[in-house]
Amino acid sequence: IPLIYINIILTFTISLLKILVYHSHLISSLLYLKKIILSLFIITTLTTLNTHSLLTNIIPITILIFTTYKTTINLTLLISISNTYNLNYIHNLNLLQY
Amino acid sequence: MDLTLILTSSTLLTLTILLTPIILPLLSNSSKNTPTTITNTVKTSFLVSLIPMTIHLYSGTEGLTYLWEWKFLMNFKIPISLKMDFYSLTFFPIALFVSWSILQFATWYMASDPHITKFFTYLLLFLITMLILIIANNLFILFIGWEGVGIMSFLLISWWHGRAEANTAAIQAVLYNRIGDIGLIFCMAWLAYTMNTWEMQQLSSTHQIPTLPLLGLVLAATGKSAQFGLHPWLPAAMEGPTPVSALLHSSTMVVAGIFLLIRTNPLFNNNQTILTLCLCLGALSTLFAATCALTQNDIKKIIAFSTSSQLGLMMVAIGLNLPELAFLHISTHAFFKAMLFLCSGSIIHNLNGEQDIRKMGGLQKMLPTTTSCLTIGNLALMGTPFLAGFYSKDQIIESLNTSYLNSWALLLTLLATSFTAVYTIRMTTLVQSGFVRIPPLTPMNENNPAVINPITRLALGSIMAGMLITSYIPPTKTPPTTMPLNIKITALLVTALGIILALELSKMAQTLIIKKQNPLHNFSTSLGYFNPLTHRFNVTHIMTGSQTIASHLMDLSWYKLLGPEGLASSQLAATKLATSLHSGSIKAYLGSFALSILIMIISTY
Repeated sequence: IPLIYINIILTFTISLLKILVYHSHLISSLLYLKKIILSLFIITTLTTLNTHSLLTNIIPITILIFTTYKTTINLTLLISISNTYNLNYIHNLNLLQY
Repeated sequence: MDLTLILTSSTLLTLTILLTPIILPLLSNSSKNTPTTITNTVKTSFLVSLIPMTIHLYSGTEGLTYLWEWKFLMNFKIPISLKMDFYSLTFFPIALFVSWSILQFATWYMASDPHITKFFTYLLLFLITMLILIIANNLFILFIGWEGVGIMSFLLISWWHGRAEANTAAIQAVLYNRIGDIGLIFCMAWLAYTMNTWEMQQLSSTHQIPTLPLLGLVLAATGKSAQFGLHPWLPAAMEGPTPVSALLHSSTMVVAGIFLLIRTNPLFNNNQTILTLCLCLGALSTLFAATCALTQNDIKKIIAFSTSSQLGLMMVAIGLNLPELAFLHISTHAFFKAMLFLCSGSIIHNLNGEQDIRKMGGLQKMLPTTTSCLTIGNLALMGTPFLAGFYSKDQIIESLNTSYLNSWALLLTLLATSFTAVYTIRMTTLVQSGFVRIPPLTPMNENNPAVINPITRLALGSIMAGMLITSYIPPTKTPPTTMPLNIKITALLVTALGIILALELSKMAQTLIIKKQNPLHNFSTSLGYFNPLTHRFNVTHIMTGSQTIASHLMDLSWYKLLGPEGLASSQLAATKLATSLHSGSIKAYLGSFALSILIMIISTY
């Protein structure tokens, strides 16, 4: 029933928005990124389990595997940014090289 | 005895005699001009000009002279053609008589001037151009005379050119005349285009002439003869010396506009619009000038305004389709107006430069001849029966009363006639009678024959001229023969009313206490607020309009705003908006990403 999915899709969209429109810290964006991936995972497991298709079983498992990589790399990037720049604020992320 | 030959040759002889003082010094180095020689020249040419006038009165001879033809275009030749008909032959002796008297007076008035010969030469040049205007058969020759009198007026008004007001007045005169010239040139161009001629004989056409070129003629007359719209130059022209005011601005130049309308009368005889326009314009200028003259304190300005008022009356006569009456009024008016100016000149000189009538009084015992002639002139101006002004003025007012016209014009003219009486009496009483208000030591001496002779001569003229001219003019239109008694004596009644009113007021004014300022008095004293209103309002608007067009529109907007700079500025505005997006911060990029996703989602619904 799509009603179940609506909830998860809602978490997905709200977390997406939260990444794009953020407050000040980078960490909060990473948190929401994690939440996105989590909701995606939930969606895929629910669909795979409900439609008993065997091929699509792989997808949630691989997602989980790759999230570990993502989270480690995220945290290292965060530490490196806060080492090289003064603060943690997103405002400082500037593509311009002056 | 070929009368025509004598007529034309004597007229040309008159003009040639006038030219001699100008040409002879150029030819031989030994002959120099003096004021006396110039005066004698004008006297001789006056006597010679009596010959063609008597021939014309005796036998009705008219002459037309073709001198030389300027082959302007293939089929448009402009001859120098001079017409000696009733108007020109009668006006020549009158103009020359008045000029002779004025020149004789000027030998006394300008005696202390170092450049007196140049002054006389200017006056002579003016006279020559005026006579060219009168005798012209051709609008081209008339235009030469027209411009000539304009230029000489400018040179003569600013005779004392060290005085700033004199220069301003001269420029004002030239500008207002120029505005009138536009009308004249427009009419000439239209005539050259449609009728291929500028001759007066060929001007009357059978079909109706459109109103527009005739409006140009009326505009020319308004400018030159100081009708209501273009009038401020005439009072301002009193900055010139008194002989200048006497010659130009009383007898001759200001009638040039009216004379133009008289000459081109066949063009608009049947055009009722133009006639009504002339009528109303004349009535308005008469009343306006008379109102302004009521509270003037400068004796020359009073006489200037009375000139303006009489010019309006002449315009009214033209508007009634009676050009002969207008010409009659021109002729009689020349006499008494010139005499009034000469009397005022004598008074001014004898009071050592005082022109304010509030500082004159009781002059009757001290300057008997001058003041008697002043009284005669004023009576003639008011239209006292059987003096000169009566014959023309009364006829005009009679015709006004008995014709089918705009009653407003009639009312204004009658009101102006009574105002004429009022200010004339005011001037007379304040100048001549009552208590003496002049400073005690004044060089009062009028025993010089150069003063007495011209003034008495002109006084004689203003008494006799009306009767003489009316006895000898050939009648062209039937005058109204019967009218009720009260219509017949309207002019007299109105004038008598004005006289009584003025005498009562002058008696009351010695015991009256009036408010310091009341609006009517202000209106009259500041000449109807016309000068500041037009001079500032008009000029500001024209200048700002031209500034808008020339510099704002052309330079700034077409070349800059809508061209390169506008492009640059609009691009700049757009880029300023977009720069915030290019700031390099990830926040902005993520924000725009979110916005675009939102737009995409919304657009699918």
